[in-house]
Amino acid sequence: MADIDFTRTGVSGEATYDNFSCNVWSENPPTPDRVPADITFERQVYSSGRVTMPDGRRVEMWGFRDPLSSGADGDKPFPSPLIRVRQGQVVHTILRSGKATHTIHHHGLDPSTFNDGVGHLSFEVSADYTYQFSPHSPGTYFYHCHKNTVLHFEMGMYGPLIVDPPEGPGTLFSGGPRYDVEAIWAIDDVDPTWRTLNADAGLCGEDARLDRFRPHYFLISGVPAPRTLTDPRVVVRARAGQAVLLRLINASYSVLRMTFGLDATVFGVDGRGLGRPNSPWSRPIPIPAGRVLEMSPAQRIDVIVRPTRTGTFPVRMVFHDWVTDAIQNAGQGVAETRIIVS
Amino acid sequence: MNRRMFLGYGAAAAAIAPTIATAQTPARVIDLTIEPTDVELIDGRIVFQWIFYGDQQTVPRPVVRAREGELLTIRVRNNAPEAHAFALPGVPGAEIPAIPPGGVGMATFAAPAGGTYLYLDPLHAPAHRLVGLHGVFVSEPAGNATPGGAATPFARTRLTPAVAAVFDACGPDAAARFHGDPWRPGREKIWLFTQIDPALCAQAELRQPLDGARVRQTFAPRYFTINGLSGFDASEDAATKPKGYVGQPLLLRTVNAGMATHAPHIHGNHVLELSGVDANGRQIIQDNVIERDTWLLRALDRKDLLLPFEPPQDIPAAAWPPREEPFPLRYAMHCHIEMSQTAGGGNYPQGITTHWELLGPTRPTQQG
Ligand SMILES: [Cu+2]
Ligand SMILES: [Cu+2]
Repeated sequence: MADIDFTRTGVSGEATYDNFSCNVWSENPPTPDRVPADITFERQVYSSGRVTMPDGRRVEMWGFRDPLSSGADGDKPFPSPLIRVRQGQVVHTILRSGKATHTIHHHGLDPSTFNDGVGHLSFEVSADYTYQFSPHSPGTYFYHCHKNTVLHFEMGMYGPLIVDPPEGPGTLFSGGPRYDVEAIWAIDDVDPTWRTLNADAGLCGEDARLDRFRPHYFLISGVPAPRTLTDPRVVVRARAGQAVLLRLINASYSVLRMTFGLDATVFGVDGRGLGRPNSPWSRPIPIPAGRVLEMSPAQRIDVIVRPTRTGTFPVRMVFHDWVTDAIQNAGQGVAETRIIVS
Repeated sequence: MNRRMFLGYGAAAAAIAPTIATAQTPARVIDLTIEPTDVELIDGRIVFQWIFYGDQQTVPRPVVRAREGELLTIRVRNNAPEAHAFALPGVPGAEIPAIPPGGVGMATFAAPAGGTYLYLDPLHAPAHRLVGLHGVFVSEPAGNATPGGAATPFARTRLTPAVAAVFDACGPDAAARFHGDPWRPGREKIWLFTQIDPALCAQAELRQPLDGARVRQTFAPRYFTINGLSGFDASEDAATKPKGYVGQPLLLRTVNAGMATHAPHIHGNHVLELSGVDANGRQIIQDNVIERDTWLLRALDRKDLLLPFEPPQDIPAAAWPPREEPFPLRYAMHCHIEMSQTAGGGNYPQGITTHWELLGPTRPTQQG
């Protein structure tokens, strides 16, 4: 049995105005109800990462790196490295916070409160903690820091998380569609003026202007537009007749309206397959070429396209302001890419 | 200084209850009063708002409840020094044009199909509703059962097979997807979202002319509320946070009275999106029910969702029910357009957030 004093956390400690925001629980407890893991990930917080934008500006990013990897992702990868697991596995994610406190929330997964990464309901991690969960539903998720989330998430502290069915990659969910080619598109918008803030900005009542978000850069999977039109990290290549799965993650603070240059079908939303046996009230949604697919921040949508002829098919994502609904950045808030079929 | 000095204003909205109407009964009169009010926000700041009150002018933004088809007269007294009005978008005839200062306006109409509605002051839209004039109207369906006999919050004549199947899947049948109790009318929470721009409130207080088109361009919200409360207060509010045991499904009536879009995100369970509205505010019952952890709630949207109160599905089987981690398990709900988690430009997460509590793995009734 783990020796955990739950009264030192939001689980059993008294909730106050002070520990809700300014002075949140900070602990490094063992994992309660721990069971052996089938697969373990480590995520170490970094700051002072950089993305070079098309105008030459080097914009600061924070995120997670994988200390177990041999550097294939680079020292400060953005977005943070993929977590990919199988349905039914017991997963441990070890967070190593470093200098400041952070958490990991595995967004869309439904673990226990202690493993959910919300500071005021549990604790923020000042050194390290092992999050435990066992995904039951295959699909597309993501993970992100849930401390001062408005800032930490915008600074880039997120990465994709994919749950494969027992059959493994190539099938979206058991009994669901198969795919030959897969793309993970984490869609984001960046406000460079927020980069001067410290990790705790605003928490104790100061006006950090975190209510005014004015994104200037628009990215897909870490690649800023318009490089998204050509960068091989984003552009999809397939052959006619293949099924292409596009895993869409709206990691921005904008309402996305996107169009595809060919007919598409939505087969999954928020990690739940449409029309799967225990969801007889749902069915896949056809999106004819050119029709707008709307996506709120933090949603994930699994789209499959099946090109039947060769050609280059555009995909266009338009970022809309949450208050005015105007296209961001005075009409420039767009990211485009392509599906090239040979 | 980060402590509030006083209690917030947004106490649990008491309901104005329905009565059973017959063809012979006259319209039931519901009185609302518009009052200028000083409102204390989560960080202690005071802003000016206009508020609809009910019940001898003590209950702000009362939830008005009626039974589908019941004849209602809404009578609005305007105690503010400028004209106001009343509307219930999507409900024909439920409109009162401008009511002069000190005046009274009335509208008589039949309560609409079972579901969730939003009442508001439509003048200089969206200005008057953004300065506080809005509230929730709930219509309880006359006939609401699925062909399988399960109660729903919707009119039987509007039910889709998909929504009926969701309610049929809640119950004691061992094979039921949401094994436990059926959904029971009244097992619900209302989540009324809005945004507050203190500069707009100040304009209203100074009786400067409000131009809707200009407000659409300049609205800069700095405070974000759910049922009139933010952050810590909303999380401690019994009328706002759902509680229950595994197997006690609950209806969430989510409404956005503001101008900004929200993306409510719930932890611990996915929710099933049952209904929405079209561009004219008319109710849509979904014929394809999507399970989501995040849903889009545009300005003036009204979406009803089912929170199934199932065991959190991603706790390892060998760790359920937890032996070391105590109940209740508590899970956040917050808007994922994270600027809505701030108050006065900081104070994360003192915005649109609350939580829900899973009290235990089995219902007390099962323990004999
Ligand atoms: Cu963080
Ligand atoms: Cu999230």
